[in-house]
Amino acid sequence: MKKEDIGIGVGLIILSIWLFWYVGRYKPVEIYIYGPDFFPRILAVMMAIFGLSLIINALLGNSLKMGDRIDPKGFIRLLISIAICVSYIFLMKILGFAAATFVFLFILMTFLKQKGIFIRLFSSMATSIIVWAIFRYFLIIPLPEGWLF
Amino acid sequence: MQFDLLFEAFGKVMLNPINFFFVFIGVTAGIVVGALPGLTATMGVALLIPFTYQLDPVQGLIMLIGLFCGGIYGGSISAILIGVPGTPSAAATMLDGYVMGKKGLAGKAIGMATIASFFGGTVGALVMTFCSPQLAKIALKFGPPEFFALAFFGLGIIITVSGKSILKGLISGIFGLMITTIGFDPLSGCPRLTFDSIELLGGITFIPALIGLFGYSQVFQGIEKILILPAVKSELKNIIPKLNEIKSVFKTMVKSAGIGTFIGAVPGTGCDIAAFVSYGEARRSSKHPEKFGTGILEGVAAPETGNNAATGGAMIPMLTLGVPGDAVTAVLLGALTIHGFQPGPLLFRDHPEVVYPIFAGMILAQFVMLGVGLGGMRFFARIINIDRRIMTPIIFFLCVVGSYAMRFSFFDVGVSLIIGVIAYFMNYYEFPGSPILLALILGPMVEQNLRRSLIISHGDPLIFITRPISAAFIIIGIFIIITSYYRIKKAMEREAQMDSVAEKEKID
Repeated sequence: MKKEDIGIGVGLIILSIWLFWYVGRYKPVEIYIYGPDFFPRILAVMMAIFGLSLIINALLGNSLKMGDRIDPKGFIRLLISIAICVSYIFLMKILGFAAATFVFLFILMTFLKQKGIFIRLFSSMATSIIVWAIFRYFLIIPLPEGWLF
Repeated sequence: MQFDLLFEAFGKVMLNPINFFFVFIGVTAGIVVGALPGLTATMGVALLIPFTYQLDPVQGLIMLIGLFCGGIYGGSISAILIGVPGTPSAAATMLDGYVMGKKGLAGKAIGMATIASFFGGTVGALVMTFCSPQLAKIALKFGPPEFFALAFFGLGIIITVSGKSILKGLISGIFGLMITTIGFDPLSGCPRLTFDSIELLGGITFIPALIGLFGYSQVFQGIEKILILPAVKSELKNIIPKLNEIKSVFKTMVKSAGIGTFIGAVPGTGCDIAAFVSYGEARRSSKHPEKFGTGILEGVAAPETGNNAATGGAMIPMLTLGVPGDAVTAVLLGALTIHGFQPGPLLFRDHPEVVYPIFAGMILAQFVMLGVGLGGMRFFARIINIDRRIMTPIIFFLCVVGSYAMRFSFFDVGVSLIIGVIAYFMNYYEFPGSPILLALILGPMVEQNLRRSLIISHGDPLIFITRPISAAFIIIGIFIIITSYYRIKKAMEREAQMDSVAEKEKID
């Protein structure tokens, strides 16, 4: 993964320079000679050194071999799943925790091609009700409430 | 050692059915998590922490400890039944356990793994109970330079958990330390790197970060490469080994328990190394080393005793010094902090009402593990068959709930998701997640004590090497870094050699 390591190394050096510059605004106060900028600046310098080492390492041909590559179809599946999750978070405020959870689990299981409809219905319903009941009645932790429950 | 407190704690924990119930839940959940390949004890503990917020701290903590012990044992079930270790620490168990399974002796192998785990876990827990208070007494004399040196020593562990590339492990560690600088500065109170966000004033909360690193990232990989594991075909017969079979491996178990506890207590080693060293030693000292790998009980007993003994050993530096030995103890350390207790020597002085029940809970967990393991073996064997298309969405959901429940904050869910995405990509480019976790735990300790020490010494860094305890920790830290470097280098060379041999064989 030579190209990847060089790219990441450059990114880390840019991050380090930005951090070193940005924390300069936090000035030391009176007794604290070593102020809020002291530690982040040490980290920025170390990150820049390691980033540079990563680039040199890659240029010398010492990068690790790339193991598994990201499967493009699988990656699209992942992006859609994250989108379903983000929708679930918004839906939770509208429908309420338990109802939104049921919808989320059922849709995600269907999307991942779980074929048995009764298994999907049962596992989604059971999981959402059990976790909702544990949080509400046993742990007494407030969960988002909406139109339903 | 305050024996009166110890006996009182044992009485309270052992005789209270509610404590027993929580340990039972923890152990059972741990075995399930451990038995499912791809799910780790670290992830299990991280997902269970939100369920402990409202519980009595002792009950919550012993439930998490139960999960830790159960998780390490549970890995052996899938290693024996399907040849896929549920946890890395069960990889050594697979060498003989899976061969036994293929011979139709899976029941006997799992039975032996259960008894060996119980034995190793109990020895480790007893050593922890009697050694920790002594170590904590010494640690009470520490000042800022010693604590900085201790944190430096702890950060040395990053090298050992770096995986294939030490450089990438160090980058992950520095990235984790950078994350800890977000929020109020611990000394001056100045808000840093918050970008005017109120939510970031308190910094990145530990649990959402943890769930992102170990929960979401695994779920994302699971979704990308959704797999169906092979069905369990082995029949589970003759679950409980005969007395003469246990007697025949007893010596091996005693030796492995000692090895496992010692290795577990050395920060940066962990249960997987304990299992392999125990297996190697059992083979080396055996009268019939050639039989190892052909499916013998000794080959199952040694690693299982070793890895469970390491659980007790790993708790010693975590409780007494506040330095986690590996990823799971780092999560347990975080759990203690969330419940308002700072692990370290002061915990023993200020909160004996928490420390001693933890010891008792750890021992109780071993007995519960023995009962649940032997009684529920057939159930756990079936769990491995659960369709990933059902399991993955449920774990995804638990990650959302877990990251929300800490502060009832959707902001935390977002942070957790973002960290999960970063960890998912990091995994592809061989940047390990465990150094970030260690850095999140040790970062504030490093920064505060570094700055305090330099203020005390008027900027003279020699303060860290002129004080004996501080100097000792720095020397041990450097020693661990150097030895780990050579160990990883050697392992990489061995792997490269094996790769070239495999390639040659392919060409031939």
